[in-house]
Amino acid sequence: MKKALLVLGLLVLSATVASAQVVGQTKRNVGCGLGTMIFGEHAETTLFQVFAATTNGTFGNQTFGITFGTLECERPARFVTNERLQEFVHANLDDLAQDIASGRGETVETLAELLSVSPEKRVSFYRNLQTHFAEIFPSADVEYAHVVDTIVRLSAQG
Amino acid sequence: MRRPAVYPLSFFVPFLVFVFLHLPAARGAEAGGYREALQESARRLGLADDRYWDILLHYKPGLLGRRKSLVDDPRFFLSPKGKSDPHAELAATIDGLFDDERDERLAPRCRFPARFAWLEDRLSFDASRLPPVSCPDLESKLSQIDARSAFLIFASGHMNAPASMFGHTLLRFDSTYESPLLAYAVNYAATVDPRDGGFAYAFKGIFGFYPGYYSILPYFDKVKEYRNMDQRDMWEYRLHFTEAEVRRIILHVMELQDIYSDYYFFKENCSYNLLFLLEAGSPEASLTDRFSVWTIPADTLKAAIDAGLAAEPVYRPSRARRIRHIAALLDERGTALARAVLDGNAVPEDVLSAEIPGVEQARVLELASEVVQHRYAKRRLSQEAFQRQFLGILSARSRIAGAGEEVVPPVPVPARPETGHDSSRAAAGGGIRDDRWFLELAFRPAYHDLLDADDGYTPGSQIDFLSGALRYYPEAERLRLQRLDLVRIFSLAERDAFFRPISWKVSTGFETKTFASGDDRLAYVLSPGGGFAWKRPLPGLVFVMVETALGVSGAYDADYAAAVGASAGILKQVTRSWKALLTARGVAGVAGDKDRGTELRVSLEQGFRIGRRSAIFLEAARTEYPNRDFGFTEAKVSWNIYF
Repeated sequence: MKKALLVLGLLVLSATVASAQVVGQTKRNVGCGLGTMIFGEHAETTLFQVFAATTNGTFGNQTFGITFGTLECERPARFVTNERLQEFVHANLDDLAQDIASGRGETVETLAELLSVSPEKRVSFYRNLQTHFAEIFPSADVEYAHVVDTIVRLSAQG
Repeated sequence: MRRPAVYPLSFFVPFLVFVFLHLPAARGAEAGGYREALQESARRLGLADDRYWDILLHYKPGLLGRRKSLVDDPRFFLSPKGKSDPHAELAATIDGLFDDERDERLAPRCRFPARFAWLEDRLSFDASRLPPVSCPDLESKLSQIDARSAFLIFASGHMNAPASMFGHTLLRFDSTYESPLLAYAVNYAATVDPRDGGFAYAFKGIFGFYPGYYSILPYFDKVKEYRNMDQRDMWEYRLHFTEAEVRRIILHVMELQDIYSDYYFFKENCSYNLLFLLEAGSPEASLTDRFSVWTIPADTLKAAIDAGLAAEPVYRPSRARRIRHIAALLDERGTALARAVLDGNAVPEDVLSAEIPGVEQARVLELASEVVQHRYAKRRLSQEAFQRQFLGILSARSRIAGAGEEVVPPVPVPARPETGHDSSRAAAGGGIRDDRWFLELAFRPAYHDLLDADDGYTPGSQIDFLSGALRYYPEAERLRLQRLDLVRIFSLAERDAFFRPISWKVSTGFETKTFASGDDRLAYVLSPGGGFAWKRPLPGLVFVMVETALGVSGAYDADYAAAVGASAGILKQVTRSWKALLTARGVAGVAGDKDRGTELRVSLEQGFRIGRRSAIFLEAARTEYPNRDFGFTEAKVSWNIYF
């Protein structure tokens, strides 16, 4: 009887608190401007998180891909050979906008490295990006291609 | 899964021509002799029983002591008996050296580079006596990752989902780039079926019905993923591996590409499977053997540190942590201004004209830009609304020149995850109930509760599995199971100006209920609840909750009692090693045995931490059954050991 009750209890428990759909690492890719490469949250406040969390479930196929997710967007007009730079800007557009606006941060440091800006010129490089924020991000639906082009041009100015 | 490219037949033609032109007639016979010689030296060296062979093939002793691989994908083995026969698999692997397959996707030496690198090292074979092999796809992946050093990354738990309190681990491989954002992460996860609902998901996750795969992806994807989840801080531990050891690990990762192992939530999970990779780098560190029943991510981190593989971490705070940090730098007026911008009651330019110092203006705008991203990640904003707000805030921010640490100093580093108590706890204690003395023994396999020291854990959270207590009353010479929880979860998530989380609890299991004065019975109880919590400087974390309870026992009239009510409490960290929890809870019976279901209880529980390994708990409680006119008082002291 106790065993049956235990099973019943578990069923009730999972039915009542575990009805929400879990969202694994769903990548919302909704265009090419700001806010396009954001990762969704795991569904919250369900017991079922107990399982979601450590399974770290992902839906569908795994990325064993060191793939470039930039194909659906317009590519930079300038001849930019630096594939890593394109990939990085495309995937980190929001963080980059934030770091450029505040004139510091890990993404602008990464940018400086990818563009081989020498260490002594980096502070003025960040400052230069900050003052040209409106040029780099003229509108919210800016294409990453424009961002790359403008940054490369600004970095060339030294 | 990126499918391997399908090469047109013409692609192979040059290869085939090459093979025909260069294959001497005598080669077959000569190769046969050399093959036998290598098989013989492998037997002489006992390679099939070598620890490294066990690591690379994920062999573990089974129930009868025979080794069996934890990898379930048949494609991982060259011998059809490979999963359970290490000797047959080694023989087949040596045969693989002589395989002249030209298709990289099929050629054994391209598919299992770590095995062959190890064999080359142990057998010192003469490559010129083997068929030539080239693995361009493997080489291009290796050069793209360009792994020079490795890091163990620990993502801590998520505040309002104590479930994810267990955290997660992954590996990061850095190249010559300085920026960690340009590194690659190796992750192990279950691939779940999106059509599965909660129960199916839990069942399949626990009992190995989902396949687990290793994956490689840009580290920045992982950084973004965890930062967007509340409170999931990341800790980056540099692993003391040489470049050669790092190469061994990455070669092993390559052979696990698209290979599945059945995923078991409690043991063979994300963190457990990463340990094989660490062992591939450092076979003398025995890591996987430390875990036999369950694998908690933080424990694997502790194991790696104990083995001397990792030290000093770099801390990467979550966005939620950053928001609270910036808000704490601002006064009331500053946070109000940020809220006005976020709620559309002010435009970002208003901040620039506010009569506060430039550095304050910059903080207000940085706070707003973090919160707007948080809201968007939580899907509380449409993409258009997000873009408009985010861009407006940033363009105002870019007009203030200040950029250094004077704007926002680094987020203070909390206690490191490995400094926390170990997750198993045993307790011995005694107490008095009205006028009867008792002794109590308790055991909790995992993981953390409200009275345990919070260092390395999420404050205000509790998740206990299979926690139980035995009680002995000497006077009555009676030993009884006092309680056995299946699971007990408590999440107290503070609400403030920018976060409005729900606090919740659920517990289920067997509990002792008192049916009449002195008449204790075990009942099966399920009690979920939900409410709010706020942090106040003086009292501490204050919470109120709606409570529900269902009790099932043959001793209840109608065999059950259902009740609803409320609870309120205060959780206070009095000093660094002293915590106190004051709770009042009242529920009234609404169905079944209404009289016995009605219960009032007030309790004061205190925990005193003594070092990292032990603690003393003091508890005092008064329980009343108002409809049955009785109640009892109980006090208890216990000595707790963490291990």
